[in-house]
Amino acid sequence: MIVCGIDVGARTAKAVVLADGEIAAHSVIRTGPQSAAAAVAAFEAAMATTSLRREDVEFTVATGYGRVVVPFAQRNVTEIACHARGSHHFFPEVRTILDMGGQDCKAIRCDETGKVTNFLMNDKCAAGTGRSLEVMASLLQVRLEDVGPLSLEANDGLAKISNTCVVFAKSEVLALARQGVPTRDILGGLCDGVADRVKRLLRGVGVEEDFVISGGISKNVGVVRRIEQKLGVTSHICFEPQIVGAVGAALFAQAFLERKASTGP
Amino acid sequence: MVTAGIDIGHESVSVVVLDDDAILGHATFVISGEVGATARLAFERTLDRLGIARASIDRIFATGVARENVALADGHRTQMLSHARGAHWWFPGARTVIDVGAEGSRAMRCDASGHLTNFALNDKCASGSGVFLETVAGMLDVPLADMGALSLRAPRPVVLTSTCAVFAESEIVAEIHRGTSTEDILRGVNESMVSKIAAIGRRVGIVPDVVLTGGVARNVGVVQALRELLEMDLAVPEHPEITGALGAALLAREPAGAARA
Repeated sequence: MIVCGIDVGARTAKAVVLADGEIAAHSVIRTGPQSAAAAVAAFEAAMATTSLRREDVEFTVATGYGRVVVPFAQRNVTEIACHARGSHHFFPEVRTILDMGGQDCKAIRCDETGKVTNFLMNDKCAAGTGRSLEVMASLLQVRLEDVGPLSLEANDGLAKISNTCVVFAKSEVLALARQGVPTRDILGGLCDGVADRVKRLLRGVGVEEDFVISGGISKNVGVVRRIEQKLGVTSHICFEPQIVGAVGAALFAQAFLERKASTGP
Repeated sequence: MVTAGIDIGHESVSVVVLDDDAILGHATFVISGEVGATARLAFERTLDRLGIARASIDRIFATGVARENVALADGHRTQMLSHARGAHWWFPGARTVIDVGAEGSRAMRCDASGHLTNFALNDKCASGSGVFLETVAGMLDVPLADMGALSLRAPRPVVLTSTCAVFAESEIVAEIHRGTSTEDILRGVNESMVSKIAAIGRRVGIVPDVVLTGGVARNVGVVQALRELLEMDLAVPEHPEITGALGAALLAREPAGAARA
């Protein structure tokens, strides 16, 4: 059984192809102004790494911010449900999930089957989302992937950033940089701020020891370490944390197909 | 009695010199460098322009976010007190004053004599602030001064759904890509701005007469959008950006030892 999950996020589009429950292919690409085109491109990028043909895919489920515009999907499922399902696939013992995306942040609780029992989400404010770190990385002329490692070298102490708002914090960060505060200390302060925001969200749903982080920011070691320190937990992160939602969508696709097969045409 | 008020905000400093109840002169400068020094320079330049000696000023009060850095002032008062008093000087019927500055907005209620009775403020979030308008002006390459008039010509304003100014920027980029006209984007921006400004006003209760102060009140598009949203007339002073400094100068006339806030 070949199924596909597509997760069209605010910053990236992800595709996962499952063949009999195993991940056969996956891709992560930048989302341009056209969500539908990004979905097609992500699908084609994943398919290009396999010998499968497009018509082999029996069912596709879309999720994410752009889920309703995916032209080739038969169904769409919320990203909350997909992240819980996908995290459960990688780590079946997990009950708390933190998904940190480009433009939002979600804290999700699930049961032993990967079904959502509670969640909290921040999609109103850029503070504490991947977007804030993108903005700051470009302001400080640091590559996004270097933000985490550099922030852990903040040995002179973290720079204190008092503004929550990303727009106001930009002026504050610029002023610190002009005063000669080392970039690594500023990045340390910024990653610490993101971890603080996330901590508040997680406290709202309750954190259990088995804890998964997914989404793009989970690749930022500076944020992950600080979240672990603040919560006193160790996080599970899968081999490609950006595809967790798409894996969940593909699992839903598989379930839809199985249900269809059992109930007949 | 001659008094002066200095309002030092995030982006600009305004100075007002008052002779009893008449404005002798006023000026507004962009802040560059250290705020205390900028305030002093702005004050000295204003006096030079007016041909007034420092010694002839009886008392100087500072207001604004950096009011405590104005060493030459004899005292300072909060922006809430100053804006309420200044707005009341322009419009004695003022009972609600909404001030929209570069880095935040605040709503004040005052009584018939211009005394502050209640206030609410947002200085934590850039949505609905002047900084957001400046960012948009830069993105669309429109001079700040032209934004309001252009927006009034919009046939089909866009709807911006983001609360956050950072996310709204992405929405605007998407509209630019889609070929949406500058006018329609600007009108959408104004409508988004005023929904946030009105929300702060509603926290204190919006009672007429309503006065809009601060630099953003110069944007006729924002003023019009707020009028439509509140279904109420709004009074805008001739020089909305000097209202805080004017209020500080008015408060400086009161006897020394009057309660500080």
